[in-house]
Amino acid sequence: MGVVKTQFAFEALKSIFKKPSTEEYPHKRREPPKDFRGRPVWLIEKCVGCGLCARVCPVKAIKIIGRGKEVNVTYLLDRCIFCAQCAESCNIRAIAIVGEFEFAGYDKSKMSYIYDKKQLVEKEAEIAR
Amino acid sequence: MVSETLIFLGQVLIFPGFLFIILLAFFAEWAVRKITGRIQNRLGPTYTGYMGILQPIADFIKLLRKEDITPTMADKIFFLIFPIMYFSLPLTAFSLIPMTEVQALTYFEGDLILLTFIFTIITAMVFLGGFSSGNIFSIVGGTRSATQLLGYEIPLVFTLLCPAIPAGSFSLTTIVEWQQNNSWIIWTQPLGFGIILTCMLAELELTPFDAPEAETEIVAGSITEFSGVKLALIRLGKNIKLVLASSLISALYLGGPEQLWILPPIMIFLIKVFVVLFLMVSLRAIFARFRIDQILAGMWKYLIPLAVTQFLLTKILWGW
Amino acid sequence: MGMGLMSGSMIKVVIGPQHPALKEPERFIIEVEGEQVVQVTPRIGYVHRGIEKAMENRTYIQNLYLAERICGICSHAHTTCYVQAVEDLLSVEAPPRAKYIRTVIAELERIHSHLLWLGILAHEVGFDTFFMYVWRDREVIMDLLEEISGNRVNYAMNTIGGVRRDLDQEKISKILKGLEVIEEKAKKYIQMIQKEPTILKRTVGVGYLSSIDAVRYNAVGPLARASGVKRDVRKDDPYIAYDDISFNIVTRDEGDCFSRMMIRAEEILESINIVREALSKLPVGDISVKTRLVIPPSETVSRVEAPRGELIHYARSNGTDKPERYKIRAPTLANLKALCKMLTGIYLADVPVILAGIDPCFSCMDRMQIIDCEKKEKQSWTLDDLRRYAREWYQKH
Repeated sequence: MGVVKTQFAFEALKSIFKKPSTEEYPHKRREPPKDFRGRPVWLIEKCVGCGLCARVCPVKAIKIIGRGKEVNVTYLLDRCIFCAQCAESCNIRAIAIVGEFEFAGYDKSKMSYIYDKKQLVEKEAEIAR
Repeated sequence: MVSETLIFLGQVLIFPGFLFIILLAFFAEWAVRKITGRIQNRLGPTYTGYMGILQPIADFIKLLRKEDITPTMADKIFFLIFPIMYFSLPLTAFSLIPMTEVQALTYFEGDLILLTFIFTIITAMVFLGGFSSGNIFSIVGGTRSATQLLGYEIPLVFTLLCPAIPAGSFSLTTIVEWQQNNSWIIWTQPLGFGIILTCMLAELELTPFDAPEAETEIVAGSITEFSGVKLALIRLGKNIKLVLASSLISALYLGGPEQLWILPPIMIFLIKVFVVLFLMVSLRAIFARFRIDQILAGMWKYLIPLAVTQFLLTKILWGW
Repeated sequence: MGMGLMSGSMIKVVIGPQHPALKEPERFIIEVEGEQVVQVTPRIGYVHRGIEKAMENRTYIQNLYLAERICGICSHAHTTCYVQAVEDLLSVEAPPRAKYIRTVIAELERIHSHLLWLGILAHEVGFDTFFMYVWRDREVIMDLLEEISGNRVNYAMNTIGGVRRDLDQEKISKILKGLEVIEEKAKKYIQMIQKEPTILKRTVGVGYLSSIDAVRYNAVGPLARASGVKRDVRKDDPYIAYDDISFNIVTRDEGDCFSRMMIRAEEILESINIVREALSKLPVGDISVKTRLVIPPSETVSRVEAPRGELIHYARSNGTDKPERYKIRAPTLANLKALCKMLTGIYLADVPVILAGIDPCFSCMDRMQIIDCEKKEKQSWTLDDLRRYAREWYQKH
């Protein structure tokens, strides 16, 4: 009994001089691991607009309008639960997961990402011209 | 005459009086939180001021700005009196403790008895405060405080009076004087030091004796319903009580303020106070909470016989 | 003062819905005489989220993530139970490698859940330093799970017909390294809690549940095993890879909080061995099979040993891509009756320790269920029943 208490007291005293194990999060950031499930990003030039991602999404965070070359994907960050099922279901791997995780904000309108293939094509054409 | 009064007023209000003690209490809270944090491998307060040293003051100001709610069930008058008393009683007691020199601000034959009385009154206040708020958790917490008092009061009084025997006086100032002429009382009465440390842990309601405010059982005990200014005062009062208890122990057992080399007596005294504080905090960190019946049983089975033994031994050694 | 709550020397202490001892909202009305508990009335349902009904409106793939969110701590147990049920409805079987990976995650989850519980118990008995140390070490497992699955909670490893992510050599060696740390710490903690006087004082003999009562009140998981009832789905009805792995069921006979604590601590060591064996036996091959998304009419029950005890999922399909009925029985619901039995006649100060002792997970537990005290019978109510009841009640009063 006494031995255990002394052992524990010793460890407690030792901890005073040890570095605290707390991560000072907002001040010192740790890199998320390699396979972290963060925000999905649409590689819209690949997308064919099959709509599978919108169909499997458990929280209806993805809206797809149009098909083929006129596809328009709206991704709602504020609904997303970061399960990455969309990326997994995508047969042509047009959805990539990036290791971002700090999304908190005050403005809901900034939390929707729109990927428009038509605009992209036009922009590319303009650059080409 | 006028300047003497002014100096005395300054001593009471500023140094080593109220302002100094309140600042000391804030510093003590920071030290306790930091040490506990480090023992538990955490950071403790970090952001406000250097190493978070201003955190207790920031908390105090934050609480002052909060809404002050009096429950409809509460006993209005006592609900108001309790925080004031809880804060002012230990603050008053400080004038009896020698801090800057061998003599305290006020001293008279028997001020030790008054101190004992103040400690008991504080606990009685906690009990009444618990009842006044009308919350069920507060009532249970207050009852536990009072029950616990039955356990630690007797050994506490015995060990408070033990140092008085060799000094031959019930005055704290005389006891400190005696220690400086002879030796620290801890060397002749180490058992008494252990007992008074344990009793003070119980008096301050620190783990393992924090059953009166065991948060997992009864939320915050008797202070559950207090908010705003009242809670701020209670928290400050608690910190002052913490410093008071450590000062009392260091005055009674560790020789009190004394000149050492070029260091002024107040420095030495503060070092002693913080050594006692550190002891109490580390004791708190390595124990789990006892149940109230276990506290009482343990106190009556071990602490009271030990305290009586210490008292009798001192009495025999220092002559009838 | 406290009107309506005090009558004579009897005090009604209401624990919850918000109370520091409960990490989730749930209510227990405890009648106390002095410090002694006379009667306990639980009131459940504060975290009822309508998950079962919601599952009927979502496809099987979408439900995977809903099932995961029934509980944060044992999310893998819930998805394992769910995919087992769905795979049974589809009559497909996950490839062996997937089964082993599921086992690894399940046991890692058990380790972190038990460590979490150990910390909570230390907090309940007021031993905050120990609580901090245990949770500090739990971070090792949390980091491992993040490394493997991509998230600290809600691992999303299971999918219908397998798992979603493979374990490569780098991850395996990381897991083994982490387990070594945890094993060393766990052994130290076991040695400590066996001898630490203040913990012993608060747990030995507290919340006694005899083995007869454990069987009578249908206790499951560590609660049953601490009362000497050898009850473990992993052995009784082996699922995923448990039939290929040799392990012991830890049981003790004391039936008090101390034995519950020891059971969980020793299960951590047992789980570490299971993970090691599973990793060494890890078969090569696919990690998932392709399945259809439409399931023919059928029904099934699936059982899993969650960290808190036996978890049961029931599913009925109707030939569409959505289940027709889904029912979840979480271990805490099974243990609640045993809990009320244990709480009677003890000290108020022991209530949090015993409450924590069953490792309650109320958000898992809260399903729509009415216990009619007058008729002493238990029945599930539909919304219509509830409406009718409300109408009648208001007419009467």
